[in-house]
Amino acid sequence: MIMNKKYLVGVFDSEHTLIDAFEKALEKGVNIEEVYTPYPIHEILHGMKTKTRITYAAFFYGVMAVALLLGGMYYAAVVDWPLHFGGKPFNTFPSFIVITIVATILTVTLLTLFTFSARSKIYPGSKAEIIDVRATDDKFIILLDQDKMNVGKPEITELFESFGASEVYEKETEKTA
Amino acid sequence: MYKTDIRGKLIDGEEKSLSQISQEILAPIDAKTPRWWYGAMAISLLMFAWGARSIYITLTVGIGSWGVNNTVAWGWAIINFVWWIGIGHAGTAFSIFLLILRQKWRTAINRAAEAMTVVAVFCAALFPLMHMGRSWLFFYVFPYPNTRGPLWVNFNSPLFWDFVAISAYLLISASFWYFGMVPDFATLRDTNKSKIKRAVYGFFSFGWTGSSKQWLRYEGLAFVLGGIAAVLVVSVHSIVSTDFAASVEPGWHTTLFPPYFVVGAIFSGFAMVLTLVTLMKKLYKMGDFITENHVDAVARVLVFISLIMGTAYITEIFIAWYSGSEYEFYTFFKNRITGDYAFQFWAMFICNALLPQLFWSRKVRRNLWVVFIISLFINLGMWFERFNIVITSLSKNYLPSSWAEYHPSMVEIGFFVGTLGMFSAGVLLFFRYIPQIAISEVKMVSKFNKQQTTHLKPGHHHDYE
Repeated sequence: MIMNKKYLVGVFDSEHTLIDAFEKALEKGVNIEEVYTPYPIHEILHGMKTKTRITYAAFFYGVMAVALLLGGMYYAAVVDWPLHFGGKPFNTFPSFIVITIVATILTVTLLTLFTFSARSKIYPGSKAEIIDVRATDDKFIILLDQDKMNVGKPEITELFESFGASEVYEKETEKTA
Repeated sequence: MYKTDIRGKLIDGEEKSLSQISQEILAPIDAKTPRWWYGAMAISLLMFAWGARSIYITLTVGIGSWGVNNTVAWGWAIINFVWWIGIGHAGTAFSIFLLILRQKWRTAINRAAEAMTVVAVFCAALFPLMHMGRSWLFFYVFPYPNTRGPLWVNFNSPLFWDFVAISAYLLISASFWYFGMVPDFATLRDTNKSKIKRAVYGFFSFGWTGSSKQWLRYEGLAFVLGGIAAVLVVSVHSIVSTDFAASVEPGWHTTLFPPYFVVGAIFSGFAMVLTLVTLMKKLYKMGDFITENHVDAVARVLVFISLIMGTAYITEIFIAWYSGSEYEFYTFFKNRITGDYAFQFWAMFICNALLPQLFWSRKVRRNLWVVFIISLFINLGMWFERFNIVITSLSKNYLPSSWAEYHPSMVEIGFFVGTLGMFSAGVLLFFRYIPQIAISEVKMVSKFNKQQTTHLKPGHHHDYE
């Protein structure tokens, strides 16, 4: 089913005006749908209240990789095909560490990347839902969903403009729900 | 912490708006391909063709077409392998160490350094692959349950460690590089005038929009990758050095090797970065982003590393004497400092330990031509270092009856020239088709270039401070 979604878009020219307007809007309890910026701004990431668990995921991958690698090498060297090297123990644990470290780093990197890809929808063929093309160049965009808006449109427009928004406009997008 | 009054401005010239930053960095992608580019590309491809022919001969005739013999079994291939890997080390070292140390000046250079890494590691990987002789059976290195037993690879062998480390390094540095470019490809997609370019770069931007959710996870990803890849930088070249140090050859069997190799790798890599950025500065007029201060900072790092290199060389020589081992003494005093390979030793010593000391002088650091030439000499010196280590130790070890000399054959020389061609072709393609500087990162640090506005309230935290 295709639904038309209505948005209110506030366009800012600089990071500072954006942050000021953003914080004021938060103070007023405005529901902010999303903020688009050309580079990461920590005040925004913090204020949007979304949390990422990607670091926990990475840690989990690491623990898993270490267990699998050490287990795998133990299996190969002790269980499956033990070889005598002048009476040395089959389980040559200290020299397994090198591969464990390097291959764990590889596993963590790749799996964290895939996690990032899947969660952020960043993969080959993914279509960007562009609200304002200038957001990757030099504009800072605050997006409000009109259905979820709890503060009146004129009030927000005035708020944005008082903090130096260069433009406030409405936008409709077709969204499949 | 970065203080602009210590290092000077991050971005030179008149104050730039954010869109000016995008435009100026993206300019080479839309500009007409310069004539010198075609010339350089033609030369690179010719070199590459010679390399391809050498590889063909190596594959069809075998290692017999090389100059290696029973005594010097590791010749040109391992020298060049270590040399390329060393160069490939700087990309990640640059990105990661400077990221961890919160050095804002990295933003102008990291993209080029990472690009260089990926191409250099590809060049490096070719050498062990060809040295296997029957290269088409290379998959035997993988530890997989096979029909030969199942017989596993030797998990205790530094050569296998090396294989794991190099494969990991290649994959990780390539993904680090690529994901750094995704936001810039999105900028290209959104600002370019050509429909075709918008479509192509749009595809490569993987659906990037710059939303706060994407940036949040992106930063999380950078944090994770940065943290663990720093370990990788140190471990990969330590492992390369254990290929040598785990043997009993005089001159190789030392505990000094891992730090010596890691530092040496970063040394040659930084020198190559310097070569590339001076080219970018001159040929692509990126001087506003890669300022004299950036070149100066890299040169200062090089002075420091050069001192470590000099210390390592002298430590080796001192221990060779102090240990009382006649084989070590012979290798260092009769076969390196003097003897058949004295030229290679002194070339290494002068290029790596003495010449970079010129960077103590601010005048030298600020003279782009001199910097460019010294950076080339450092790379030459690092090549001689690997020659020195590999050949002198192997050619004359314990038994004089098995002493032999080593000279590379034309096939080996062609192979090396081929990888040089491959490297320069890769770098030229990078210059032409990829944003040479990380746009979003430069934008992020650009605010530190100006006087803060009154809008900035004292309560605000700012990243990277």
